[in-house]
Amino acid sequence: MSALFDVLTEHLDEFGGGLWVTLRLVMGAFVIAIVVGTVVAALRIAPSVWLRRLGGIYVESFRNIPLLVLLTMAYAGLRRAGVPIGQWTAGIGALGLYTAAYVAEVLRSGVFAVSKGQIEASLSLGFSYAQTLRRIVLPQAFRTVIPPLGSITIAMIKNSAIIGVSLIALNDILKSARIVQAETFKTEEAFLWAAVGYLLITVTATIAFRFLERRYVISR
Amino acid sequence: MQKLRWRWLTALVLATGMVAVTACGDDDDKSSGSSTTAPARTFEAGTTMKKLQDAGTITIGVKFEVPPFGQKNPASGKVEGFDVDLGQAIADELGVKAKFVEALSDNRIPFLKDGTTDVILSTMTITAERDQEIDFSDPYFVAEGRILTKKSDDSIKGIDDLAGKKVCTALGSTYEATLKKQAPKATVRPVDGYSDCLELIQNGSVDAEATDDVILTGQIIQDDSLQLVGDKLTTEPYGAGIKEGDTEFLAFVNEVFATFKSDGRWAKSYEKWVGQYTGEDRDPPEMSLKEALDLST
Amino acid sequence: MTYLFRPDNWEWLITGRNARFIFEGFLVNLQLALIAMVFSLIFGLGLALLRISPWGPVRFATGLWIDLWRNLPLILVILYFAIAMPESWRDAYQTAAPGFLPDVLQRGRVFAALLALVLYNSAVLAEIMRAGIQSLDRGQGEAATALGLTYVQRMRLVILPQGLRRMVPATISQLITLNKDTTLVSIIGIQEVMRQGRILTGNNFFGGVQAPLLHVLLFIGALFIVTNLLLSRLSRRLEIAEQLRTGTTLEPISGLEDQVRPVQAR
Repeated sequence: MSALFDVLTEHLDEFGGGLWVTLRLVMGAFVIAIVVGTVVAALRIAPSVWLRRLGGIYVESFRNIPLLVLLTMAYAGLRRAGVPIGQWTAGIGALGLYTAAYVAEVLRSGVFAVSKGQIEASLSLGFSYAQTLRRIVLPQAFRTVIPPLGSITIAMIKNSAIIGVSLIALNDILKSARIVQAETFKTEEAFLWAAVGYLLITVTATIAFRFLERRYVISR
Repeated sequence: MQKLRWRWLTALVLATGMVAVTACGDDDDKSSGSSTTAPARTFEAGTTMKKLQDAGTITIGVKFEVPPFGQKNPASGKVEGFDVDLGQAIADELGVKAKFVEALSDNRIPFLKDGTTDVILSTMTITAERDQEIDFSDPYFVAEGRILTKKSDDSIKGIDDLAGKKVCTALGSTYEATLKKQAPKATVRPVDGYSDCLELIQNGSVDAEATDDVILTGQIIQDDSLQLVGDKLTTEPYGAGIKEGDTEFLAFVNEVFATFKSDGRWAKSYEKWVGQYTGEDRDPPEMSLKEALDLST
Repeated sequence: MTYLFRPDNWEWLITGRNARFIFEGFLVNLQLALIAMVFSLIFGLGLALLRISPWGPVRFATGLWIDLWRNLPLILVILYFAIAMPESWRDAYQTAAPGFLPDVLQRGRVFAALLALVLYNSAVLAEIMRAGIQSLDRGQGEAATALGLTYVQRMRLVILPQGLRRMVPATISQLITLNKDTTLVSIIGIQEVMRQGRILTGNNFFGGVQAPLLHVLLFIGALFIVTNLLLSRLSRRLEIAEQLRTGTTLEPISGLEDQVRPVQAR
């Protein structure tokens, strides 16, 4: 048992550093996912067929491509093409854009959950399409989507582990644990602490979303 | 609607089928190479050699992305290189088929311990630490640790210039420790294989790569804008890895290697994979296992 | 943009054996996905049934098991098994692996990948199925009991057919995720499409046309997008057929596939 804790205490720098890297990746990607996801969701319900189609192409492409392929493209692929993209930009960007496709789908279904009558009423009161979306639809949509957004965030945190094994090779939690494993051959301990690291973040996120849910969720 | 559903199912099946057909268009050539009808030597029952002969195959762990030692050739679908030649020599001596599987730096020892592979021939340096986990053959190649940089980068002349630079090496290799010791101020980026390092140095993500000269030479052959710099960091005797305690099999492998070195096959293989590119001549190593082990302590 | 579409940069695809090389890799992914799908669905259903079993301790233990596997990053589980799986398990797999599988899939380390994929996906699918079953009107089960059906009959004839059918879209979404996740096994050195692709892009050693990395990845990505779109088309067709037959509308499942929330009965 004490051997288990020794691995942690002797390699606190590695594990701590890994946790911090994963946290930064996840926070950055979350912001991008929400912003881009909202824009794409707006495209998906836009009055123009072409905009809707554009949004559809975004969602279908990013949702159906393996994240590892996307990450490799975003970093090594672009760099080979002469774009001097950094590790962080590529990692956060690719994870964020990938997750944005899911966020967009959730927001869209949230919008559909707002009754048509409300939208019609708003339009007939003279609100423009943009105003209706901003004042009536999105606030309600955001509330109904808090629980699924929570799920997406948890999945995104887990997916962030792929950044470290891709060519981006940032020393995130998993990578740090593997470095410790390669050095000490203490496989069980190293991976267990990595799992604990991810659980720390996912559990925190779960609690945060539960809190939001309790505060804002409206039941219909 | 029932019909529509079947239409989509059929489409899916057809698509999968098409992929299958494209992929299996012609006969798959297995990864084994030359003649397997070598003189079938007989071995005592219970030895690993006998077991391998009964099974008809020997599974050899090699690198797949480390030319000139082990590289999968997309044109033939086979893995080729110096390590592969050696592995084939072992298989030929046993009169069995050689099956080459990929062994990465961080999983090759586990693979050997758990029996996934019978022998490891994957540019593996003999170290005292590893010797506690597995057994090593006599050194079959002696490489040197070197640093690779871009020709256009003249800020790195040797290991002392690595401070503050990003250096790539493989996760689980000896260079992680070497760099920590000799260049403590360098930022080490451990990745899953040397082909990843090549990609990273080519695209400018790292400034240098540290590993064995022959591996680096293989990369220079692929990209002549790269160069070796500085003195040798370490001496890296390569040994074949064998499961701990299997002395009979170890003796057998050593015997195969000794013949391989003395009958000219070693020199031929060296010329084919290294010599013709570097212009260097090299004799088969005479270093003993003990000398190799002493180097690492 | 010109870089992307310049014909020179696509020349690798029609050169030599390159396209076949990629397809060979992709076939390994598809086969891996298919095997993992079958086992995940079977084990997932078993777990779902245990999860709603009448006995409290069983429900609790199953819940723990499911939460454990679906909350770990899949790549962590794959890497762990690849390094730590005991010898006997690999041996058992190598002996048991049927001969019709391609060479790549008969190797011991594939078992590590399969085990990780199945443990993870069966846990997720179990939650999806449980959600589907529990979304049924309670009256269904009660009516079946009132008719004198046993537990097994109730499940087989009334609950499962309705409950599982509702979750077809969510299940297929998860299978799409599984299909994508097969690329992760490239990390433990299984020769699938990502590895084949990388080999093509570093191919100068043997001469030949060097393939630009971005283009190879775009091609691989397109293969996945097409396959997965076909799968989701199938899901949509099933959904419509279902609506026409039973007159019910399926609750759209929102969220990332692997974290499905119970469908609320209206």
